[in-house]
Amino acid sequence: MSANANPVKSRDFHRLSSVWNIIFNCIAGGFALLCIFPFLFVVLISFTDEGALARDGYQLIPAKWSLEAYKYVFGSGDTLLRSYGVTIAVTVIGTLVSLIIISLYAYAISRKSFKYRNFFAFFAFFTMLFNGGLVPTYIVVTQMLGLKDTIWALVLPLAVNAFYIMILRTFYITSVPDALIESAKIDGAGEFRTFLGIVLPLSLPGLATIGLFSTLGYWNDWFNALLYIDNPNLVPLQSMLMRIETSMQFIMQNSQNSSLSLEALRNMPQDTSRMAMVVLATGPIIFAYPFFQRYFIQGLTVGAVKE
Amino acid sequence: MSKKKKHFSLLLTTLLTVSLALSACGGDSKNNAGGEAASGGNKAAESTEKPVELIWYTIGPPQKDMDKVLTEVNKYTLEKINATLDIKMLDFGDYTQKMQVMAASGEPMDILFTSSWAFDYVQNARKGAFLQLDDLLKNQGKGIVDTIDPAFLEGSKVDGHNYAIPANKELPAQEVFRFNKELLDKYKLDLTSVKTMADLEPLLKTIKENEPGVTPYAMVKDFMPIMPFDYVIEKMPMAVYMDTKDYKVINILETPEIKEALKTVRKFYQAGYISPEVATTSSVDDLYKAGKWFTDRASTQPMADNLWSVSYGYPVVSTPASQPYIYNWSVMGSMQAISANSEYPEKAMEFLNLLNTDPVLRNMIDSGIEGVHYEKISDNMIKNLPDAKNYDMPTFSLGNIMINYLNEGDPENKWEEFKKFNDAGINAPLLGFNFDTSKVTNEIAAVQNVKEEFWAPLMTGSVDSEEYLTKANEKLKAAGLDKIIAEAQSQIDAWKAANNK
Amino acid sequence: MGKIGKSAKDVLKNKVLLFMVLPGTLWFLFFSYLPMVGTVIAFKEYRFSRDGFWASIINSKWVGWDNFKFLFSTNDAYLITRNTLLYNIAFIVLGLILSVLLAVVLSEIANKKLAKLYQTGMFLPYFLSWVVVGYFAFSFLSSERGLLNAMFGSNISWYSESKYWPFIIIFVFLWKAVGYNSVVYLAAIMGIDKSLYEAAMIDGASKFQQIRGITLPMLKPIITIMTLLAIGKIFYADFGLFYQVPRDSGTLYSVTNVIDTYVYRGLKTTGEIGMSTAAGLYQSVVGFVLVLTSNYIVRKFDKDSALF
Repeated sequence: MSANANPVKSRDFHRLSSVWNIIFNCIAGGFALLCIFPFLFVVLISFTDEGALARDGYQLIPAKWSLEAYKYVFGSGDTLLRSYGVTIAVTVIGTLVSLIIISLYAYAISRKSFKYRNFFAFFAFFTMLFNGGLVPTYIVVTQMLGLKDTIWALVLPLAVNAFYIMILRTFYITSVPDALIESAKIDGAGEFRTFLGIVLPLSLPGLATIGLFSTLGYWNDWFNALLYIDNPNLVPLQSMLMRIETSMQFIMQNSQNSSLSLEALRNMPQDTSRMAMVVLATGPIIFAYPFFQRYFIQGLTVGAVKE
Repeated sequence: MSKKKKHFSLLLTTLLTVSLALSACGGDSKNNAGGEAASGGNKAAESTEKPVELIWYTIGPPQKDMDKVLTEVNKYTLEKINATLDIKMLDFGDYTQKMQVMAASGEPMDILFTSSWAFDYVQNARKGAFLQLDDLLKNQGKGIVDTIDPAFLEGSKVDGHNYAIPANKELPAQEVFRFNKELLDKYKLDLTSVKTMADLEPLLKTIKENEPGVTPYAMVKDFMPIMPFDYVIEKMPMAVYMDTKDYKVINILETPEIKEALKTVRKFYQAGYISPEVATTSSVDDLYKAGKWFTDRASTQPMADNLWSVSYGYPVVSTPASQPYIYNWSVMGSMQAISANSEYPEKAMEFLNLLNTDPVLRNMIDSGIEGVHYEKISDNMIKNLPDAKNYDMPTFSLGNIMINYLNEGDPENKWEEFKKFNDAGINAPLLGFNFDTSKVTNEIAAVQNVKEEFWAPLMTGSVDSEEYLTKANEKLKAAGLDKIIAEAQSQIDAWKAANNK
Repeated sequence: MGKIGKSAKDVLKNKVLLFMVLPGTLWFLFFSYLPMVGTVIAFKEYRFSRDGFWASIINSKWVGWDNFKFLFSTNDAYLITRNTLLYNIAFIVLGLILSVLLAVVLSEIANKKLAKLYQTGMFLPYFLSWVVVGYFAFSFLSSERGLLNAMFGSNISWYSESKYWPFIIIFVFLWKAVGYNSVVYLAAIMGIDKSLYEAAMIDGASKFQQIRGITLPMLKPIITIMTLLAIGKIFYADFGLFYQVPRDSGTLYSVTNVIDTYVYRGLKTTGEIGMSTAAGLYQSVVGFVLVLTSNYIVRKFDKDSALF
């Protein structure tokens, strides 16, 4: 099927031949299947009866279904819903903050006319490799900035990332032709107007990429909460689930300690609960994915901006 | 290029200045605070006006009803010692890491949990995380000295000083062979002859032949046959013999005893009594849950058989596999220390004293509020109410357990049994000696890596012991084991001389 | 005098752009550069002081390069360096090829709905922690109950045969990372000006000629940047991949022990933060030198693609 046969239906005028289309579908589909399969398994196990799991091991069709795992996870905190709330708030605020800071910074260092671009590029890059370690960072966040037990302790430490800045700068450079910016300048537009009116719209796929990475980063973050949050009402979802998970591993590793293991074993969550936690933690974010995805798959109608 | 450099050095200079200024400020304000606190503490001692709030970090999952219970606890402590508490729970898996960061950064805290297995006691005492308690114990902590088994305070000294208050609980560590009683009864197997691992052979054979779905010996990668050694560092190959007279430090992988023991384990492994994947198995919980095991080894405490049976849902019995020895690590199983930067060390000790001697306070912190979380069914016995799940603290981590109420179903003589168990304990030779690793940290890092490479496969019988022992010993030597042994020897000799051993 | 005047003028001329980098700069100062002062711990034997962290640093004893010795003085030093380097090179090269390939494939698939579906699927492994990934690997590789042995009727004890593990590690890494990384390239392809393709069509270029002639060259800058950034991390290894996935099996250490796992195991008993800081510094410095070198080379060929 050639593109000409169907010119209206798609803007995509440069179609593959159907054989190659099938081959490409097989490659992408095959790999996707390889990735989805274990995840389906996770979902299945989370609905398996604990006893059946211990007896038969992992099975595609469990001998006995059960909701126990979810009951356990929900039971271990009416805080679960609140944790969702915290996570969503942190993710939304954080992604916005980080998109603003990163896109501005990346724009400045993408401009050839910016005299200090190399200095600031290096300034950002250097932090990718060198860091002061946990304790000094902890002191800055808690003692100097006084962020302990606030939502900002979850937002700010992840707000900027030199890696994202470098990627976004490359997007700006490659997808916005210099001539375009120069012509805007000649028309009398200032840096900000050029940035907002021309550069941003042309870099939407790049921004969406950074936005997605940043969203996922916030969503999956548990470590900052471990460090900075003592107040149980401010604990995000991943952190709560991670706490249960690591404590379970810790107790198993210290099973020779009789008083510890005797006390703690009673409340131990099991494999099925662990999988239920993965499902609960991943479910919602998968639905947020299509929001970003349209920018990766469909591309942009560039012409509108340019002409 | 040179311009760039200049910019950068300028930036660095600014940064350094800023941070130095900050650190100076930080130091100053801290000093002031310390000074004020000291005088404040004195004032409090003179007139009982201003109550003190103690920040207490301890281990265990955060509890929903903590605030409720704290209100009650604080009423009581305010009256008793003019202090209130802020208890912060950090879950088991997070505790060590978070405490390390907080202690290193000088986070304000007064009392903190420490032990041989979480936020390591000896290591952190040496690094200066805890306050030295010798004097406080004499003054504010008299009750503790009188109440708890003296072996605890004696055995938990680091370089001659106490840095934490051990919980009065089971003192020695004793290993037992545990058995799934259903299988034991089914095949009418006899336990009386089982004294050592080798004695298990005929029983395992019966199970292997008749119960195809059952793992005869449930073992995990941490397994180690019982050996007559006391280790300089747990799970490292430097040790002395249990019955040593000259305290000579040896590499246990070169002893005839280990060769003998590993032969037995290897035999079991090859006979299929042990899972072929034992060397990478960190938990056999699924076997316990499904009841698909016959025997294993565990460390015990009085009435442990009952607890095991209840938590598995089928009867479990046990028979001793070793003597009850008192080790450094068993003494340090659960302790509360006072932070080096505590602003109210005297108050903190007063509180710890109360916690370890006053049944009302101890039980309130352990079980919550009467009528809400539990109800009394006799003078010293309680029954959990449904709300107990909102306040379920790890009993062993909160000081003296022997002044706790009994739980419904516990035998009346539970604490006597504990005392008996403690009295039966035999001091291990290195009890009270703590190796200072600072001179051999590099060698320990290297030896640790070699050890981890060989330990689990060797100890679980997964590899041929003759061949791998030789290999392991060669690599250990190359990594500097001899230097560690020599250093340990000289420290032990000095310790021996100082303590007239 | 004139120089200062010129500098001031420069600043003034760039004030809008300087204003744009301001929030980011502040962030870097607080969250990255200020804590970097703590790196001196690498040269100290760290001991707590009553008066907090800075006082602890000042009061701790200088030990020179002692904290670094454990990384070099042992027989394992060569092994962990080799493993870390070789794995990372494999990850960079194979990861790049596969991610770009997938991105191109996804961008060319005619049915956009299907493409979206595939892409969502490829992203899922990113959400599984290494612990969970370890469980799955075990359900395939367990010698008793594992899927692989059952399928092929073999009796391989996977967790004690080191010869298979370089492949398993690389496979698991690619499986987890490729979907995530391909997003960047896919987005870059979407940013390519469509008129370029139109022109090529008119010239009668075939689909593959277009990919070779337009798509790949347009991807070059982003590929260069991603590779340069990856080179900076070449001495770091993902702890979970090398610890959880092989289930910390001792017999596999010859091919699974990397710098990060070595440091973790080595410091378990002594817990010296000086030594772990030293290890981190070593990893950073090597990465830094390598990036500067590669960046220098890139600048020679293509100034615009370089990092700075």
